[in-house]
Amino acid sequence: MSAPALRATGLAKRFGPLAALAPLDLALAPGETLAVLGPNGAGKSTLLRLLAGLARPSAGEIALGANGESRAQRRARVGLLAHATFLTPQLTARENLVFAARLYGVANPEARATELIAAHELAPFAERRAGELSRGMAQRVAIARALVHEPALLLLDEPFTGLDARAAERLAEQLAMRRGSERACVLVTHELARAAQLATRALVLVRGRARSLEPGALASADALGAAYRDAVAALEAVS
Amino acid sequence: MSAFWAVLWKDLAIEWRSRDRFAAMTVFALLVVLVLYFAAPPSLDAAQNAHVPGLLWVAYVFAGVLGMNRAFAAELENDALSALALAPADRGFLFLGKAAASFLILITVQALAAVFFALAFSLDLWPVAPQLAAVAALGALGISCAGTLLAAIAVRTRYREVMLPLLLLPLLVPVLLGAVRATTALLTTGSLPWPPVQLLIVADAVYAIVSFLCFEYVLDE
Repeated sequence: MSAPALRATGLAKRFGPLAALAPLDLALAPGETLAVLGPNGAGKSTLLRLLAGLARPSAGEIALGANGESRAQRRARVGLLAHATFLTPQLTARENLVFAARLYGVANPEARATELIAAHELAPFAERRAGELSRGMAQRVAIARALVHEPALLLLDEPFTGLDARAAERLAEQLAMRRGSERACVLVTHELARAAQLATRALVLVRGRARSLEPGALASADALGAAYRDAVAALEAVS
Repeated sequence: MSAFWAVLWKDLAIEWRSRDRFAAMTVFALLVVLVLYFAAPPSLDAAQNAHVPGLLWVAYVFAGVLGMNRAFAAELENDALSALALAPADRGFLFLGKAAASFLILITVQALAAVFFALAFSLDLWPVAPQLAAVAALGALGISCAGTLLAAIAVRTRYREVMLPLLLLPLLVPVLLGAVRATTALLTTGSLPWPPVQLLIVADAVYAIVSFLCFEYVLDE
């Protein structure tokens, strides 16, 4: 087995007395896509923000790639699509992509932005300010933004939110293509059908406690639904 | 360094399009000068006149605090602050970009306020304009450096608009002390004494270095 793209050991997060995430061990190999499922308030977004390096864990460690990397080097490996789009409203879609490319030190930011605009079919609104875009349009720009530096680990929080059918299918195709690559993905979603379609593994979170699902649970949306309900019931019983 | 230029370009582009920070700071500075003009006695004696130049810094510092309160406003929308925090660059360079943008906006406001101040108080600033600009720039640098760090801290708090002045104004005492003394001496004697300038330079250096080093931790949740 190749070296993990992501390894978290004893990862936990508390907000005062509230345990947002109970100690969790997680390892993700290159090419794997982990679906993180769970009801609202389960700690899914907290997990993503910890993995992205936005928040410091209360306990535990996260390793991406080689040991001994600085926090900045770790951030360079991660692309995050969160609930918020991270777009600056006063800048156009293209300028947002150029700005992100510059932040990540991409060699030719303008060319990279043009490439992403073409790949994600953003041309019709590329010159419009992000503040004027619809939720779906902004989400498409935000997805392109998360990919601007071709991250080794892609963290997606409800990426299909607001997307029309065509855009959702294109994103699903792009994520499916990543499965065979050296890149890993963590996908937080409530859409079990998408999780079954895209993920190679699944994790259920309830009130900060995690349970991995058997690989067979991803055979179909129905199988995943049944396994998900069982896991939620089991986790609610212990929490 | 690319992160520094990226943040500087982004902040100036936003300001060029909206001009909301610049407009608010300029109007506020001019209003402060106007209030000071109305508050001053109609005919100032020599002793009272000696204090007038220092009043310019009342306008500068309050306009500066107002501007710093808006420094992270754009980052609040769509959680763009997290996007900055995710950048793989040394976060000190993000600080430098934000501080440089604030500095450029503040010195522009200072220039306009100085002209208005000179008109209101019948002062001839032209002979000492280069030295006055240098003192104003040093003061603006201190306000921008300390203000950017504290604005980044305050922006995540519930009472950020109140929190920033409470944190920033006490910290600016050395900057104000140096700037007011230097400005007063410059406009009353025509020469710039070294000790207050030295104080300004040291305070600026301390704020810049501390802020550069602390920004890594300030952006964490």
